[in-house]
Amino acid sequence: MSQEPDNDYLWDGSGVADPEVARLEEVLGQLRHRGTLPELAERGTPVRPQESRGRRRILQALPAFAAAAVLLVVAGLAWITLVQPRLGWAVESVAGTPAIDGRLVEGSGRLGVGRWLTTDQGSRARIAVGHIGEVDVEPNTRVQLLESRAREHRLSLVSGTIHARIWAPPKFFFVNTPSAVAIDLGCAYTLQVHPDGSGIVRVTHGWVGFEHGGREAFIPAGAVCATRPGPGPGTPHYEDAPAAYPEALAILDFGGAGHPGRSASLDAVLAGARRRDALTLWHLVQRGSRDERVRVYERMAAVAPPPAGITREAVLEGDRRALDLWWNSLGLDTATWWRIWKKNW
Amino acid sequence: MSDRPPPQMDFAGVDAALLTTSRFGPEHASEDAALVRRAGAGDAAAFARLYERYARMVHALLLARVGRADVDDLVQDVFLTAWRRLDALRDPAAFGGWIAAIARNRAIDFHRRAAETEKLPEHLAARDATAAHIEARAALELICTLPAAYRETLVMRLVEGMTGPEIAERTGLTAASVRVNLHRGMKLLREKLK
Repeated sequence: MSQEPDNDYLWDGSGVADPEVARLEEVLGQLRHRGTLPELAERGTPVRPQESRGRRRILQALPAFAAAAVLLVVAGLAWITLVQPRLGWAVESVAGTPAIDGRLVEGSGRLGVGRWLTTDQGSRARIAVGHIGEVDVEPNTRVQLLESRAREHRLSLVSGTIHARIWAPPKFFFVNTPSAVAIDLGCAYTLQVHPDGSGIVRVTHGWVGFEHGGREAFIPAGAVCATRPGPGPGTPHYEDAPAAYPEALAILDFGGAGHPGRSASLDAVLAGARRRDALTLWHLVQRGSRDERVRVYERMAAVAPPPAGITREAVLEGDRRALDLWWNSLGLDTATWWRIWKKNW
Repeated sequence: MSDRPPPQMDFAGVDAALLTTSRFGPEHASEDAALVRRAGAGDAAAFARLYERYARMVHALLLARVGRADVDDLVQDVFLTAWRRLDALRDPAAFGGWIAAIARNRAIDFHRRAAETEKLPEHLAARDATAAHIEARAALELICTLPAAYRETLVMRLVEGMTGPEIAERTGLTAASVRVNLHRGMKLLREKLK
């Protein structure tokens, strides 16, 4: 029927499976219809439409939002179009009494652009990130809503801990921290910022990009990455990496070139590296002195040999194409998110 | 972004037979017509059969327009509306197109009401969101950026698991149109995924 084999698969599932179509079927199949026919009233009998859960929720919300709705209607569509994005995000108090710009949130509230949400040691909150996800705010946390637009949802996390779950396409949700920007690549993660401005991200699903001043880290599910004011993002490592990794990487990333433990730290990282730790080595091979990068290259080439055509010199010179090809050969995940991420944010 | 469906005749590789496929195959239409007549007489089992045939299509049409948290409720609304208004369906063989129109109108009505009140915090509707759903939601978001004709067809194919012939049979589109929508929609989707 079709001249292209993959079209037959797309058309009726026959023939050779198109990997991308098959992957989308697998992923999207979770959303498939699984409902059942509701109970039917006898035909001819006037019936009041069955009240759906969605309608009930709307009706329950009406009292709380009536004043805002009336204002919006009266003000007119143009006003709505102009102002609505500035209304900010819905905030729900989960425990205690969080505060928005110092005013306690009892039940629910709204975090407008430029406003601060603060939790004390006994309070927690949940923020609806527009329509693309949600953020749980842990105790002792301060966040500010910086931007709320269709393609840019941006928070500033000054201190404390948030858990983000985002289901929008990559690069719709950003969190500024004092030392780096966390860029959501379609994921779930926990981001913690300490009083000194340092931070750490733990990714539980998908990917997160960490960026500051041109220095980037790319963190997949199961990995963590620290960041510090000044240097910015450190080197990511898997949570199950050798025990020496966190301390050794902290010295390599933030200890400075003259740190007395630098050489021993690099030894520890390289000695314990498994193929899976190529994630860490791939970042390290772009950092540090040339001698250090040579050592990292040799170890990475041993645990995860570069694909044909990738030269040692190209990698050591930071050639983007060579680094990308080597990354793609590591089999860390499908390349989709990676390709998207490679576009500059 | 245009919602206009693509022209049907400029797609290379379409069988000539497909291009002449009429809307709603005669056998399918006559089965629908019989079920609609029985349902119209109060036969709930016949209406349940129609539900089995069309629930995935209706679900897909709504999923292409409305947030997932509200879709299941709206699917029920659509079928209850259809059940109550069966008498208004002049051509019993055209049930597919008729209920599709109800679904599209219901989605528009849903958005209008949401705008008049205030949209509920999404997190209330998304408490069931797990990490496993995040990728699905992301992919669906991308599909929903496509023109309506493409996104409806792709949601039926990729989410509901309907085949191209099945989509054509249920929607009343010609097989050639469905193939065009799948092909072009998937091409656009691949570009967005790159």
